[in-house]
Amino acid sequence: MASIRRNIVPYLFLIIPVLIYLVWVIGPMFYTFYLSLTNWDGLTTPSFIGFRNYERLFRDKVFFISLVNNLKWLISFITIPVVLGLGLAMALNKAIPGEKIFKMNFYMPMVLAMVVSGIIWGWMYHPKGGLINTALVASGLVEKGPGWLSDRDIVLWSIIIVAIWRQVGYVMVLYLAGLKSINPQLLEAATVDGANSWQSFWRILLPLLTPVTIIVLVISVIDSLRAFDLSTITRWATELLLL
Amino acid sequence: MNQKTFRIAIGLLLILAMALGACTPETITVVETVEVEKEVEVPVEKEVEVLVAKDVLIYNSMHGDPDPRAADEEIVKMFMEANPDIEVVHSIVAHEDFKQAIRAYLTASTPPDVMTWFAGNRARFFIDNGQIMDISDVWESEGWNESYPKGFQALSTVDGKQYFLPTSWYWWAVYYRVSIFEELGLEPPETWEEFLAVNETLKENGYTPLAIGTKYRWTAAAWFDYLNMRINGPEFHINLMLGKESYDDPRVAKVFEYWRVLLDNGYFLEDAAAYSWSEALEPFIAGEAAMYLMGDFIRDSLPDEIESDVDFFRFPIIDPSMPIGEDAPTDGYFIAANATNVEAAKKFLAYLGSVEVQTYNAEKLGRLPTNSGVDRSMFTETQQKGMALIDGADFVAQFYDRDTTPEMADEGMNAFMAFWDDPDSIDVLLADLELARKEIFEGE
Repeated sequence: MASIRRNIVPYLFLIIPVLIYLVWVIGPMFYTFYLSLTNWDGLTTPSFIGFRNYERLFRDKVFFISLVNNLKWLISFITIPVVLGLGLAMALNKAIPGEKIFKMNFYMPMVLAMVVSGIIWGWMYHPKGGLINTALVASGLVEKGPGWLSDRDIVLWSIIIVAIWRQVGYVMVLYLAGLKSINPQLLEAATVDGANSWQSFWRILLPLLTPVTIIVLVISVIDSLRAFDLSTITRWATELLLL
Repeated sequence: MNQKTFRIAIGLLLILAMALGACTPETITVVETVEVEKEVEVPVEKEVEVLVAKDVLIYNSMHGDPDPRAADEEIVKMFMEANPDIEVVHSIVAHEDFKQAIRAYLTASTPPDVMTWFAGNRARFFIDNGQIMDISDVWESEGWNESYPKGFQALSTVDGKQYFLPTSWYWWAVYYRVSIFEELGLEPPETWEEFLAVNETLKENGYTPLAIGTKYRWTAAAWFDYLNMRINGPEFHINLMLGKESYDDPRVAKVFEYWRVLLDNGYFLEDAAAYSWSEALEPFIAGEAAMYLMGDFIRDSLPDEIESDVDFFRFPIIDPSMPIGEDAPTDGYFIAANATNVEAAKKFLAYLGSVEVQTYNAEKLGRLPTNSGVDRSMFTETQQKGMALIDGADFVAQFYDRDTTPEMADEGMNAFMAFWDDPDSIDVLLADLELARKEIFEGE
């Protein structure tokens, strides 16, 4: 009797969160999926139409454009910051003068709110008065700078650059922590055995950094799903100049 | 010990059950009363008091901002003074909330009798649903068929019957810098050829002929509206907006041919997609861009010192055989189809459309009247010119995103932007738009 009770009690405690979870998370999830199979204006009774909404979605060109854009974003966002961040971490993991200042500066973009980064870059990208185009024109390289945020072919990359600029410092800090935890004796032993620095990077450092790399990749994938705010704000930024 | 935990668990469960139980009826009431209830200021006690003695008229409006709100309340007061037998129960709901709530109002078993709304497709949707009352008799008895400009009459009419009372509006036109035109000896163009010639002269002299900022897309829709109305006439335009004409019609393709001339010649502001409409105003204010197709709200954003240097002209005529349509987004009133107190509602509507109320609104809020009976001498020269512009129109359109459904407007404006970027893609874009139109209007 007592053991049965002991088995039941934890479940009784679980009932409450499970109920809440069922009612507010799982239930709506299924209900939302059901709604996606209906034609509904939000007021009248939903009428069941099967998978027609999905058919429409897959016929929609905008959907594919945004899908491809998301893929471009995801791939650049998980490769470029990782490579650059690791490179920076390797470079700054030595006792060079002012390394703290370098680290701080590289990490700084991450400290800024997404909104602030978006606004700063939005201003820099301004087609006429922005820092980038003003510099390009002043240097005599071009007569007229590109429309960073108005040209359909480059706007995505303009915003990806902002996202990468923001992420690199963060990745660098994660790798710096990982590098600190690696026993320097391993590297010394490798050097004694005649390994060059290229070999000790690929054979020793990188494998030992695998846990960090996994964390970095997971975080990058999650962060890449939050591209909305940055792209919205960067485009909206020049508006603020008028306020 | 175990017993104790068990009891606690049961106790917690009970609390949860009660909490859930308490929640359920509340959600139901929310559905019935619409979430904007908190904003509604219904003088409840008064209502009970007068129910026996007076006719109760329920009036919901969206004039939430302080000044329009005060004027709205004052008009209701004046109406009740003039009609002591009618008690108006007036609710003011904030603009955005009203837009959400109106569907619930109209589907309720006892909807408000009189409501504010937008003319055009947004009213047409409810008219086609049979939710707005035919008020042709009010138009007839009040003589509005004579005293309202024919553009506004056409706007309120569906199948020969009037359903809407338009009351306040603003016009669209091509605004231009007088000093630049004078410097180059240019006259406001009236025909398409003259318009192109003006553009060419401006460009040759180093000016940007046409300011535009398409970041939020809708500014480009104005060009589509006007080109379509000038080339194919307002009737075709409105039928296209209503989904009754197709986007792969050669007449629509023709609109883009005209548009393309302006794009290919580089008459529009460069990098337009980088600017909002107000950002694109900067070169216009700085005297670098000469013309701007925009709504009259543009004048609110002009610095005082250049306001006298800005004038406007009617979008040039392309096909003189076509009736003239103008964009003039209009707000007004209607009576719900199953209003409880029809007689009082019609009386109130007649009052709202009267010279007296429109004069009051013009004096208090600077609103442009729709009733030609209002004395125009109280308006500025610019306003009179704007009114004359609409007097001369055969049809008043509401603007692309108000004339067609929100879904179609979204598709359309995306296509305008893609066209702007790559004019060669227009055939594909129009074919896609036609698919979208079929899906949205015919459910295919």
